[in-house]
Amino acid sequence: MSLEMIYGTPSLKTQMPRSVFCPGCHYGTIARILAEVMQELEFDGRAIGLAGVGCSFAGMPLNLDVDFTSCPHGRAPAMATAMKRIHPEAVVFTVQGDGDLGAIGLGCFMNALLRGEKLTTIFLNNANYGTTGGQMAPTTLPGMRTTTSPTGRDPQNSGFPLHAAELAAFMPSVAYAARVTVHTPANFQKAKKAVTAAFQKQIDGTGYGFVEFLSACPPNWGLTPTKCLTFISERMMAEYPLGVFKDVDHLDYSKVP
Amino acid sequence: MARGEVTINTGLCQGCGLCIGFCSRGCLELSPDRLSDMGSPQPILAQPERCNACCVCAWLCPDFAIDVYKHTGVA
Ligand SMILES: Cc1ncc(C[n+]2csc(CCOP(=O)(O)OP(=O)(O)O)c2C)c(N)n1
Ligand code: SF4
Ligand SMILES: [Mg+2]
Repeated sequence: MSLEMIYGTPSLKTQMPRSVFCPGCHYGTIARILAEVMQELEFDGRAIGLAGVGCSFAGMPLNLDVDFTSCPHGRAPAMATAMKRIHPEAVVFTVQGDGDLGAIGLGCFMNALLRGEKLTTIFLNNANYGTTGGQMAPTTLPGMRTTTSPTGRDPQNSGFPLHAAELAAFMPSVAYAARVTVHTPANFQKAKKAVTAAFQKQIDGTGYGFVEFLSACPPNWGLTPTKCLTFISERMMAEYPLGVFKDVDHLDYSKVP
Repeated sequence: MARGEVTINTGLCQGCGLCIGFCSRGCLELSPDRLSDMGSPQPILAQPERCNACCVCAWLCPDFAIDVYKHTGVA
């Protein structure tokens, strides 16, 4: 009888002495999905990643052994646009937090969609600014306590949560938009399929691919990693339904009005 | 008889405990005797005979700490 290794560290995962993420943070699992998908679709040699400011700023470039750079806050879609237009053969993707994409970088993101860029965006929705100590983000749930909403987010003066996946799906240049989680094994596999599809739309030249992850942030949610899973299924998913909001194989690029 | 086996990299594991809850066969347990260098207890394969190499713990380990092995051939 012998032992055969059937599942381990993806080859695109860099060797690091230890994780840069907090215990129980889902960003590591999302990095695994990115590593596996890039390897399976065999574009790692021509992948260019652009990380937004936030915990993915250092975390994703350090974890993934592909060309990667970090960007000024919110500006990853602009830098990705330059990369893609200079290197059209490259597969260019951004990894951005909800503060990064949804607050300071919302204009930059919307303009990339308006220009019809063929990029892929991985949007990390942990309902707060994780890196800086848990301030309210555009995605913070109504009533959710953060350091800048100590009595809970009040929609009366702080508005309502940003639904980025639905927003992306509404834009004509977007070929794929989905919201996923990695809080159960089945959802991990669905998330992998979504990331694969979002990259495939760019590889095929169809249009923009967008995947939103609902992601646990145990220290700033003030919950154990295990309780974060319940928070995702009971609170996050009540506000943010999972699913594929758009999946088209063809966008009409004709100039005819 | 065990069909699989997992190894947990003690240098990478941060002791979040997610794998323990995800293992539907109850193979993993936190061990008070095994601490990460940050001081958190780490899981061990406490019920090795129950592991069927489903890989779920490794998919969902945020720290890339788990490798999965399958027993092949006959004893
Ligand atoms: C121009 C600028 N303003 C403010 C900051 C401080 N800052 C660093 S990370 C961050 C929030 C990031 O939040 P999010 O995008 O949600 O990422 P997370 O940490 O949650 O992954 C802010 C405001 C900065 N680095 N640059
Ligand atoms: S602060 Fe939150 S998002 Fe950042 S590494 Fe820690 S758990 Fe992850
Ligand atoms: Mg965030």
